[in-house]
Amino acid sequence: MTHKEQAWKAIVEVEQAETFRFPQGMVGFPDANDYVMLNSGHGDIVCMQATNRVEAAFLVTPWDKKRLGKQPDLSADQQACLQDPDENKLLWLVVLNPFSDPAWVLANLRAPVAINLDTSQGMQCIQGNPQLDLHFHWMRQPGQAQQAA
Amino acid sequence: MLILTRAVGETVTIGHNIRVTILSVKGTQVRIGIEAPNDMLVLREEIIDTGSEQPAEQG
Amino acid sequence: MIVLRRRVGQAICIGNDIRIVITEVEPNTRAHLGIEAPTSIPVHRLEIYEKIHQENCAATQGDTMAWLKGAANDS
Repeated sequence: MTHKEQAWKAIVEVEQAETFRFPQGMVGFPDANDYVMLNSGHGDIVCMQATNRVEAAFLVTPWDKKRLGKQPDLSADQQACLQDPDENKLLWLVVLNPFSDPAWVLANLRAPVAINLDTSQGMQCIQGNPQLDLHFHWMRQPGQAQQAA
Repeated sequence: MLILTRAVGETVTIGHNIRVTILSVKGTQVRIGIEAPNDMLVLREEIIDTGSEQPAEQG
Repeated sequence: MIVLRRRVGQAICIGNDIRIVITEVEPNTRAHLGIEAPTSIPVHRLEIYEKIHQENCAATQGDTMAWLKGAANDS
């Protein structure tokens, strides 16, 4: 009697996207170490999605010097962790929170994300300045019905 | 080396599963509480150095 | 919790890679901790770590891609 085994897998296709390595993960998500940037055509806001944890999906946008002032600082330890990036090869991103405030999308200026574009390595860099706003009003919520999570 | 100043009751996080708390400061003696995974050894540094202790010097 | 008594100059070792030395003590008040750890291991004051953790959880509590797609449609 022949025994046939059928293995059925669902394959999710992702464009061969560039992966960014976060050795420390994000704060509170230490094991979410690899991220892809998913663009959905909304200006310069992208979704930074962990490849191993569905819920580790962060809205990010580049640090806007005009609105937020000069770019954040890297501490010596942070610089070492990012493998001493060149200043012009360092991309600063701000984490956005669209879920807590019904009227505003909030930006966390206290813990921005830094990416070394040469090595594709990143980390969330908690800033020492206690004045930096955790709930900066980045933009008004788009006029849409909120879907239940 | 990163230097952080902590008052009594304050805590430092190291990685995501180690916490170091200042329990008391009496004079110049500090009582430190360490929470770490069971598989990590937490030792006074001088205990580790005892392994390669030289015999007492003579003369 | 493991409790150890230390004075200035004394150190604690955790695992293979982490060393904490008391660099200074302000009598009856504060301790200055020198922390040596690989750069891949983040070191933070607990209160700020917890604040950022909370913010990250709030920022991921909903369906991020769904919000982004909705926002794109709206603009």
